Amino acid sequence: MAYTKKELLDKTNAELRQMCKNLGITGMTKKRKDIIVDALLANQKADDKAKAAKASDTPQTVAPKTDAKKAAGPMQSMAYQMQSTLTKPSAKVGDKHTTTILVSCGANSGSFPVADRTISEVKGFLSEALNIPSFPDAVVNGKKVDDKYVLSSNDTLEFLKPAGRKG
Amino acid sequence: MSKEVKVIGLGGIGSILINKLVRFVNHFSQSGSALNWDITLIDGDDFEVKNKERQEFLFMKNKATSKMEELNALVSESIKYAVPEYITNDNVAEAVREGDMIFLCVDNHRTRKIISEHARSLDNVIIISGGNDYTDGNVQIFIRENGKSLTPSLTDYHPEIQDPPDRLPTEMSCEELANSDPQLYFANLTAATIMCWMAYKVATTPLNEVEFCESYFDIVSMAVNSVKRQPRS
Repeated sequence: MAYTKKELLDKTNAELRQMCKNLGITGMTKKRKDIIVDALLANQKADDKAKAAKASDTPQTVAPKTDAKKAAGPMQSMAYQMQSTLTKPSAKVGDKHTTTILVSCGANSGSFPVADRTISEVKGFLSEALNIPSFPDAVVNGKKVDDKYVLSSNDTLEFLKPAGRKG
Repeated sequence: MSKEVKVIGLGGIGSILINKLVRFVNHFSQSGSALNWDITLIDGDDFEVKNKERQEFLFMKNKATSKMEELNALVSESIKYAVPEYITNDNVAEAVREGDMIFLCVDNHRTRKIISEHARSLDNVIIISGGNDYTDGNVQIFIRENGKSLTPSLTDYHPEIQDPPDRLPTEMSCEELANSDPQLYFANLTAATIMCWMAYKVATTPLNEVEFCESYFDIVSMAVNSVKRQPRS
């Protein structure tokens, strides 16, 4: 069943967490409601894409959902998305191509499959991996953006870390 | 071309940095470079025994004066002036001038803000600012060339410096000054080292080709990450 954002927001945190559990979305037990809702909507969107791609048999194919569900940890739904978008113009049907984005916070950084994700989602997924502070500002390609910004394949994302005070 | 280099703050980071920087400047001058740097040291604080684990001084006196005497004996009279004062709104215009290259190694965000805001009013200035917490920290570089900011100021992407929660050393009591947070020598050393990298970069690269404006380090995760950001108008 497809939910709207409002319908999800009307649910209790316990209900939302149970939905995540049922869908195999992990790492949400201590997350804020808006982050859980974003994760559910993103999962729903990926599901829709998978169905559409399967129906049309176009190069925009999606990895079998069952594989993604088996992946452990908070990265599972991103791993799913990682294999879902075919961005090579020369690619053939069935090819898979990974698009990763450089994400950093302070000294910690890495390339992650977060294209088409909002800043808010990425913050939720990577808060532990990159040690992101509670309410960080986000900078994409050197400019500040808000939480609703959707990342595209050529972006570079930085969560701002406060400067060291002592010297 | 003569350039005035000023090291502001000679605590954990500054006292390590100047030992390396003075040799680099000396080497650069002797290698036939067109760049000729004069060095000035600025700090209102005295060296105390309790800081000997982190700070590199030979004499128990004002840090700027002590370091000038020490290094001029070792490295051929490289340091021209020692100014035993803290930076405040009243003296910042005298301390930071057109054409200066400033190495900012202070231990509070309020001084960083004063210097960054003053630097915005200058046409040509370079500020390299280092800071650390216990095991991590960062180094920023703010470049103004011909009246234009080529990199963000120290406050552009750091609200904690824009609205600093701390106070200037001149506003603090002796007790407050004595009760400083513990620091790790290696964190000071890493910040000083990255400041040296930035010094090399600006000494050898056209300023409009300096891409990175800030480097973060984390000793625990053994990582250094440099970022590019656009200056805010």
